[in-house]
Amino acid sequence: MSSINRRHLILRLYRFFPVILLFVSVLNIFDFNYLGLKYFSFNFSYILIFYYSLKKSESLGYIAIFIAGLFNDVIVGTPIGLSSLMYLILCVASSYLRNITLRPNLTKDCIFFLITILIINSLLFVALNFIFNYEIDYFNQIINIVYTFLFYFLFSHLFNFFENYMVGSNNVR
Amino acid sequence: METSRDDFIIAIRSAFLKKGTQQKFSLLSLLLFSIIFLVLGSLNFKAIGYVKLAIKEIVYTSSFIVSVPENFVKNTYSDISNHFSHYNDYKKIKVELESLKLKKLTNKILTLENIKYKKLVDDYFIKENETFAKALIDKQSPFLRSIIINKGSKNNIQLGMIVLEEDYLVGKIVEVNYLTSRVLLISDINSKIPVSLQPGDIQAIMSGKSRTKGVLQYIKGDLISNKEELTVVTSGSGGVFKSGIPIGKILAKENSLEKEDKIVNFYRDFAQLKFVKVTSYLKEKEDIDISSKGYLKKQAIKIKETIEQNETLRVLTEQKRILIEQKKIADEIRIKIEEENIILKNKTVELEKEISIAKITIEKDTIGRNNLVFLQLNLLHGHKCRKTFYNNLFKVNTEEYRKCVLNKGVDKISE
Repeated sequence: MSSINRRHLILRLYRFFPVILLFVSVLNIFDFNYLGLKYFSFNFSYILIFYYSLKKSESLGYIAIFIAGLFNDVIVGTPIGLSSLMYLILCVASSYLRNITLRPNLTKDCIFFLITILIINSLLFVALNFIFNYEIDYFNQIINIVYTFLFYFLFSHLFNFFENYMVGSNNVR
Repeated sequence: METSRDDFIIAIRSAFLKKGTQQKFSLLSLLLFSIIFLVLGSLNFKAIGYVKLAIKEIVYTSSFIVSVPENFVKNTYSDISNHFSHYNDYKKIKVELESLKLKKLTNKILTLENIKYKKLVDDYFIKENETFAKALIDKQSPFLRSIIINKGSKNNIQLGMIVLEEDYLVGKIVEVNYLTSRVLLISDINSKIPVSLQPGDIQAIMSGKSRTKGVLQYIKGDLISNKEELTVVTSGSGGVFKSGIPIGKILAKENSLEKEDKIVNFYRDFAQLKFVKVTSYLKEKEDIDISSKGYLKKQAIKIKETIEQNETLRVLTEQKRILIEQKKIADEIRIKIEEENIILKNKTVELEKEISIAKITIEKDTIGRNNLVFLQLNLLHGHKCRKTFYNNLFKVNTEEYRKCVLNKGVDKISE
């Protein structure tokens, strides 16, 4: 009886893993900045949201994404609601890709992801620079986009592994 | 063609409107909601303001808790890298300490003089309020550089207050909540700080560039590029910051380059902030009148005393330097004498060897000369000593024969 309860709890934890990870990454800004590498930064939240909206849309609720965006704005100091908007646009893009895809392919996903984050960062830049009078370093933004794109390969494999072997195996039992 | 357009529209419509299995809202409604949030927030709508405040209080506290594991990793990484550079730092610091000790007194004099003159021009500020705070969230986003501290309006923190680490400028308060506040770091591209470049007192505006660097903009006056290192301090223009707060320096290498945007290297690394000091300054109300003359006199006496102390220290240091020099010279002479001594000893040994060789040669010469004489005499008188069939003299190569030859015959021996 107790083993059934424990398995149930683990399964529940696995199911909420993307949401937990999203909030931890937003509250913690998961980007290894403390390493002090000059030309290195990436946006983990973008990768997570895009992947789970595309592959497992039921794991990551839109409301959770919206709230995570609000939290991100508070942490980073951008106008409140801006990150939510960007996250949701990312969800729209991934949802569109899901609708038009018949045979999923990682390379195609990555290219679509790159186009999406380019659009999102452009929108973010326009909004911050022209509407809210924030100055943004173009170079840092480009670096951020490039590394976010590159890391998508790595993290999509990691999430795939997690979904197939951790969550999958628990479901079977 | 039309079919593909229809497909696109269907896919887009589905993306915006279709709710997933676990989704309670469609994306379109949430998008509209976030735009409304953004617009009302920028228009300072009251309800949104309260929501913002609530979110901030929750997020700052929870972010601090969530950051604990990462902070642990970060601190461990920092400790390890510090440990490796420990010995080199120690050696460098030791040398610096010696020179700083001497500079300290001179600084003290200059500070006192500075206070005196600032009071004369009514530009002397005293600390009005000082609060120590802990950096709760130190997320150095590449776009916006700010930290959250654990003191807010509850602790009398106000907008625009200066944030220092030790005595170095870190930033200013740009957002105050009840329990927390946001500090915009000077490394942020949006921070524009009126600075003064020393020596030369050239005014400029500094903006952030990267984690450890800033860039000068709008330099007032001619900044002549030379190979001199420049110190960057707050100028006090605009009344935002008190003048003379150290910020960083422009390296000699950077200053020698012919370009307008000079790079400022900050004295502090803003990624390592743990505790900061939030202060505000107030102009001292004390005017230069008769009552303050006493104070000025005291200051003058203090300056005099400090100058005397400095002079004594300087004399003692000079004496110490001379003694060290003398000791150095004496040591050098001693070492030279010792070296000469060793050389002479070596020479004596060599000469003794040469004498012994010469003695052996002389002995050999003497023997050779004796043999030569013997051979000469042998030719002349050998027949007188040689044993033959009809006489009973000496055998050849015997000692008696030799003696006989050397005596030029047997008669001589008998004589």
